[in-house]
Amino acid sequence: MKILRSLLTAVLAMTLAVLPSCMKYGPSEEEEFNVDPSGEGLFIINEGNYMYGNASLSYYDPVTKHVENEVFVRSNGFKLGDVAQSMTMADGIGWVVVNNSGVIFGIDPTTFKEVRRITGFTSPRYFRMISPTKAYVTQIWDPRVFVVNPVTCETTGYVTTDMDYDSGSTEMMVSYGRYIITNCWSFQNRILKIDTGSDSVVKSLVVGIQPESMVMDCNDKLWVLTDGGFKDSDYGYEAPKLLRIDPDTFRIEQSFSFPDGTHASRLTVSAEGDELFWLDNGVCKMSTDATHLPVRPFISREGTLFYGLTINPVNGEIYVSDAVDYVQSGTVLRYSQDGELLDTFNVGINPGSFCWR
Amino acid sequence: MRNRCALITLLLLLSATLQAQNDWWNSDPSYVVPIDAAAITADRPMREIGIQKTRLDTVALRDNIALSIADVLTFNSSVFVKQYGRGSLSTIAFRGTSASHTQVSWNGMKINSPMLGMTDFSTIPSYFIDDASLLHGSSSLSMSGGGLGGAVVLSTEPADYSGLGIQAVQGIGSYGTFDEFLRVTWGDEHWKTSTRAVFTSSRNDFTYRNYNKKIDGEYPIDTNRCGSIRDFHILQEAYYNTGRGDRFGLNAWYMASTRGVPMLSVDYRNNQSYINEQGENTLRSVLSWDHERRSWKVHTKAGYNGTRQSYDFIKDKGNGQMVQMVESRSRINTIYGQAEAEFFLPGNWMVTAQLAAYQHFVQSLDRNAMMRTGAVIDGNTRKVAIGYDQARFEMLSYASVKWQPTQRLGLSASLREELYGYSFTPLIPALFADYLLSRKGNVRLKASASRNFRFPTLNDLYFMPGGNPDLKPEKGLSYDAGVSFATAKTDNYSLEGEITWFDSYIDDWIVWIPTFKGYWTPRNVKQVHAYGIETKAGGFWQFSEDWQLHLNGSFSWTPSINKGDPADWADEAIGKQLVYVPLFSSSVNGSLAYRSWKLTYKWCYYSERFTTSDNDIKSKIGRVLPYFMNDIVLEKRFVTAPAELSLKLAVNNIFNEEYESVLNRPMPGRNFEFFLEIRPNLRKR
Repeated sequence: MKILRSLLTAVLAMTLAVLPSCMKYGPSEEEEFNVDPSGEGLFIINEGNYMYGNASLSYYDPVTKHVENEVFVRSNGFKLGDVAQSMTMADGIGWVVVNNSGVIFGIDPTTFKEVRRITGFTSPRYFRMISPTKAYVTQIWDPRVFVVNPVTCETTGYVTTDMDYDSGSTEMMVSYGRYIITNCWSFQNRILKIDTGSDSVVKSLVVGIQPESMVMDCNDKLWVLTDGGFKDSDYGYEAPKLLRIDPDTFRIEQSFSFPDGTHASRLTVSAEGDELFWLDNGVCKMSTDATHLPVRPFISREGTLFYGLTINPVNGEIYVSDAVDYVQSGTVLRYSQDGELLDTFNVGINPGSFCWR
Repeated sequence: MRNRCALITLLLLLSATLQAQNDWWNSDPSYVVPIDAAAITADRPMREIGIQKTRLDTVALRDNIALSIADVLTFNSSVFVKQYGRGSLSTIAFRGTSASHTQVSWNGMKINSPMLGMTDFSTIPSYFIDDASLLHGSSSLSMSGGGLGGAVVLSTEPADYSGLGIQAVQGIGSYGTFDEFLRVTWGDEHWKTSTRAVFTSSRNDFTYRNYNKKIDGEYPIDTNRCGSIRDFHILQEAYYNTGRGDRFGLNAWYMASTRGVPMLSVDYRNNQSYINEQGENTLRSVLSWDHERRSWKVHTKAGYNGTRQSYDFIKDKGNGQMVQMVESRSRINTIYGQAEAEFFLPGNWMVTAQLAAYQHFVQSLDRNAMMRTGAVIDGNTRKVAIGYDQARFEMLSYASVKWQPTQRLGLSASLREELYGYSFTPLIPALFADYLLSRKGNVRLKASASRNFRFPTLNDLYFMPGGNPDLKPEKGLSYDAGVSFATAKTDNYSLEGEITWFDSYIDDWIVWIPTFKGYWTPRNVKQVHAYGIETKAGGFWQFSEDWQLHLNGSFSWTPSINKGDPADWADEAIGKQLVYVPLFSSSVNGSLAYRSWKLTYKWCYYSERFTTSDNDIKSKIGRVLPYFMNDIVLEKRFVTAPAELSLKLAVNNIFNEEYESVLNRPMPGRNFEFFLEIRPNLRKR
């Protein structure tokens, strides 16, 4: 037994010496940021890959043309999470909705430090401030719109709808007076008008299969883009549509149908509110007064996977993201108002949306 | 708990009442095993001419009952085992390919999911497998097409003894883990029967320091959430040997598994407010008839594989009332038949022909938006079922000719043709050769070359939404060459080793990519060049009558490079290593036996696995760092008059490493499991 003990000790000692750890898991080093609070600034919300937990936030200064990537983890020392869906600026705080982490982070837009955190969601999509103490949060697979207090970070109530839990969803939110209009996207076909005073749905309108995005133009007309669902879906499939809706009467005033097989998405409006932009094998542009859809993209580029779109509210420059192959760093292309490529910069994985500071 | 009680009761009853002659009982408790030089240096059989094969040691398979085949392969081979967490999905990939490029058979029947193409090795208990081999690269074609990386061949064998035998093991471990195993065997000159049952349950609620979150400014000690496991397996076998060259067999394996889907370490949702669970009920059964004569053999098999899988996501509405949000169900029914004949002809020729047929019926339904009676068709309350219902017939034909013109040289050529639905693969040829360079040390050269094809899975073709019926099959071309040696001295030492270079090209690699509409779709996008070196070595050294050392190791270098055209003007992935393919992997395990004591050390290493196709190493959020893993097992065997006992203590992750196998999926730190094994002495007194 003595020999055995000696041998065991020797083997263990040898093992400890020869096979040490090579792990490097540990805290992320925190960096200090302090960007100029007076100038413009663009946040790029990089979704990352579903169930990878590699969502990130990039920050671009349009004046210095400087980009900083992964600013959330670098500033806070922990990860943003799984699938960053959207970001909204309100009351000097950037609210980043991280869908599959079930969390909304409020960050300081100059230091990128977390200042608020709201949890209690299962699949949040968008955040909209109603008043300093009240905000709405939409969810997928949930018929309710959450009412939260952004100061206490607590859920204070719900806006209920007539949808069911297993198929209901609400998405983007557009303000119109005391109302919020939201689109019901996944396997849905309506938009809803919510009275923010009573937190109740006052009107609904069937617009077509899967209303994907919405904007309000300079004439206070609501524009809705439907994606039409997908082929062979039992829910139905149709060509995408662009609709002009009167937010008061909640009636469709004008409807443009895209050709079959079109993949139109990401409806955006110019700073002046008189031009619409969207993605469809390039960047398409249309005046809000137009009587027909454009026949070809305003900006097209061979070998580019256009993924996200925004317009600089100050100078009208067009920013388009390219997801490349969906599993590597994406790129943002900056174009002039005339569609001339000005420069490009690398960001995170799947840059799906933008937020101006 | 009821299953556990039933197992213990059965054991006690059998122990108390049964007395029989058997060879199961081993009156010598020593772990020192005889070294037979003749067996180690014997000529390889003709059917293995040029074959690159790794056979897992039975001792590794019987290490402890808590292990799955995924765990055994982690420490006993250099294939990449991708674990999504403790007790979670574990897949195997060879030679820089993906999990769906690994073909898997159980008692001759392919068990890859026809929906996904892959196999979850975490649901295969190692105690249910008696013979496990890895066929690397071209060598997998002797089993099936589509193994662009290789194949894993798993089978059960009749117990090698007569009379009654009982083996019971109870394991108790960290995180509320209980493992129970019972095997009852009986055999005589003609009949062999065996019944094995395993019941595993674990809360699996290990804690870890979560560096991906901060709570009140600190990295919290987090708990692995929603990861509980309840698995039950039962395997019934019966064999009848006529003694005149015919053997009939029945193998039936039923599994019922309920497992939580562990949350990511970046998930802020409250695990109390929802249930995220997957279930599986699977019955695999094979009937076989083997007819053997001196110069020819016929093997026929018929089988059935039925699987019911479920995924449920249920959440609290916020008022304590739970509602079902996702209800996914899939059913797979597969009928299988196979006939194989081997002929040994004069002049050292061997001819093999094989025909196998599979009929799959698959129904996959996601009921998160199910149509209901009275639904308003044009409004938002309209519900639809999302999924597909498809059948596919597959026929695999294979013929090979093997020739040994001299004692040193072996040559083999094979041809395979497969039918998937209405599409035939092109002919799949393969050539193999080996040459005995030196009898001293049994030094043998081996080489092979082959084409290969893998057909899209049913999910690839029909999944709703996103299935792409226009996908082309993946095409492979591979070569390998290597040298092996084996030398031994009876009851003194044995040493064997092998080094192999391989080179393969895969075109039209299928990748699932997202679309603008929020769902994913598969496309033929990649061309991949996978090449590298595999080495393995092992040996025994008996340095005294009571002491024996056993060492086994493997190492792989597997560049797997994207050689396709750029997907985009900004594509930085060309020339880079594929996602989740380690460049280096290695394993070593050694055991030191002293009479009835044994200490086993297991070690494995994986280099960094990139999570981005551009291999970004500047990122702070997307890196899965290299890791070493170290496990240790100490066991002691006792022989008493009524029973043979074995006590075993396993310590996993002895250095308490913090690591991930998959991004943001936590793995446990140091953990323990204690096992007590009893084999009652049922000999006549």
